[in-house]
Amino acid sequence: MSALLRYHVELLLRSQRWLAPVILYAAFLGVGVQGGQPVLDSLGYAAAGLLPVAAWLVRICVTGEPPAARAVVAAPHGPARAHLACLLTALLAAAVLGTAATLVVTLISDPASNGARVRVDRLGAGAAGLAAAYACALLGAAVGALTHWPLLRSAGRAVPAMLLGALMATVLAGSPAQAAVSGLVTGSQSGRVPVPLLPLAGAALLAAAAFAAACALTARRTP
Amino acid sequence: MHRDLRLTAVGRRYGVRGPWVLRGVDLTIAPGTLTRIEGANGTGKSTLLRLLARLDAPTEGRITGRPRTAYVPERFPSALPFTAAGYLTRLGTVHGLSRASAARAAGAWLERFGAAAYAGTPMARLSKGSSQKIAVAQALLADPELLVLDEAWTGLDADARDELERAVAERTAAGGAVVFVDHDPRRLAGAPDATYTVIEGGLKSGAGGGGPAAGALAVIVVQGGGQLPPDAARLVTTAEETGPGRHRLTVPASHSDVLLRTLLATSPPWHVVSVAPPAGTAGPPLDPRSRV
Repeated sequence: MSALLRYHVELLLRSQRWLAPVILYAAFLGVGVQGGQPVLDSLGYAAAGLLPVAAWLVRICVTGEPPAARAVVAAPHGPARAHLACLLTALLAAAVLGTAATLVVTLISDPASNGARVRVDRLGAGAAGLAAAYACALLGAAVGALTHWPLLRSAGRAVPAMLLGALMATVLAGSPAQAAVSGLVTGSQSGRVPVPLLPLAGAALLAAAAFAAACALTARRTP
Repeated sequence: MHRDLRLTAVGRRYGVRGPWVLRGVDLTIAPGTLTRIEGANGTGKSTLLRLLARLDAPTEGRITGRPRTAYVPERFPSALPFTAAGYLTRLGTVHGLSRASAARAAGAWLERFGAAAYAGTPMARLSKGSSQKIAVAQALLADPELLVLDEAWTGLDADARDELERAVAERTAAGGAVVFVDHDPRRLAGAPDATYTVIEGGLKSGAGGGGPAAGALAVIVVQGGGQLPPDAARLVTTAEETGPGRHRLTVPASHSDVLLRTLLATSPPWHVVSVAPPAGTAGPPLDPRSRV
C-alpha cells in the first residue's frame, strides 16, 4: 500500500496538474482574506474554499493515469487497493493545502471577534480552523470520488456533477462541511471558539463510505 | 501460488442490460503451466484475461485464488511523467520489491529487451515498440506467480519477441503460471500446456483452427545416466534414445535455454553433446567435437 501511495503521490507531483487548483485556491484566499480581519471568519472562508479544491484534486489523481497504466498498477494488489491509494493521495494533498492555508490565515488575522469586541485565543482558533478545513477536505474528496471513474466516466458528466456536488456540500444545511464553516462564522460573531469535532467525524464517515463505494466498483465497471 | 486460480461458471457483461461477453466459463490455471487463449477479434479474449488478472469481477460465477499477478495490456500508452527506468523502479516497488532491488531489476530487464539506452528517456518520448518493452519489463520485474500477456508481443522487434518467449519459458520453469493471447500461431508453438478458444462467449478446449502450429524446434543431443529428469522431460517435444545414455531431444526454440539449464543443473549433470538451431535458421549444427 505504501508503494502504491508513493507512486500516486509522485504521479501527482510530477504531472504538475496540481498547479491550477493550488493557484486558484491561493487567489481565492488572496481576494477574501486580508491581514487584521477577524480570525474565525477568515478561517471559515478558507475552509469553505478547500472543498471544491479537494474534489478537483481527486479528479486530477483519478484521471492522471491512462486506463492501461491503471490496469498494470492494479494487477499486483487488485484494482480496489490501487484506487484507494489514488483517492488517499488526493485527500492527502488537500489536507496539506488546508494545513498550510489555516496556518497562514491564523497567523495574519486579528485574534478577535467581529468588530474586535472579544479577544479570541489564536491557538484555539487555529485548531478549530484546522478541524473545519479537514472536514471540508474529506467531504470534497468524497464528492470527487463519487463523481469520477468508476462511477462516472465521461468528463461531460463528471465535471458538472462534481461542481454541483461541491456546491451542495458547501451550502446545504446538514452537510458536515456547512456545519463546520457556519460554526466558525457564528463563532466569529460571538467570539466563542467552536469545537467542530462532530462535523469532522461526520465528514470522515461520509468520505470513508464514498471511498469504499468507489473502490468496490472498480472491478465491476468498464475500464 | 498457493492454490490454483479457478474460474467456475464465470460470466461477464458490462452494464446492467449489456450483452454477455462471456458466459459459463470454467477454467483452472495451475502453477507452472503455460496457457494459450485463442479466438477471433472481439470475442472476449481480453475480458477473459482481465478476469484472470482479477482486474474485473465476474458478473456471475466465482473466481478463487489470488496469485501475485502481473499484467501486460495490449496497448500501453506512455503518457506518464516518469523516465523509463524511473517508472520501472516505481512499478517494482508496487510489485513488492525493495527500492534498491527494483532499480536493479529495472536495469537488468531493460538490458535484456535491448532498451537500456532508453533508461533515462521520459516515457512520453518513447516509441510505441519501446513503451511496449517497458510494459513487458514491468510485468517480469518481480517474478510474478501469474503472468497475463494480452498480445504483449505486438510492436516488439524480433530480438525482444524472442527474449519475451524465453522469459515466459523461464517463468513457467520457475513455477509461475503464464496465460497469453497472441494472433501469431507460431508464438511459443508447441510449448503451451493447454490451449483454449473463446467462441460465442464460451470457452472451448483446444486450438481454434487447424490444430497447433509446428514451431521452430531446436535439436539437442545429450549424454547422461538413466532416465531424463522429469523437469526436462516436461519441456521436450520428442525424445529418443540413440545410444546407451545418449538422447536426441527436440524442444521448442523458446525453451532450449531452460532445458539446457535444467540438464546442466541436475546432479550428476548431463553432458551436452550438441545443440542444433531450429531448421531454417542460419548456421550448421554446433558440435563441440568438430571444433579444432
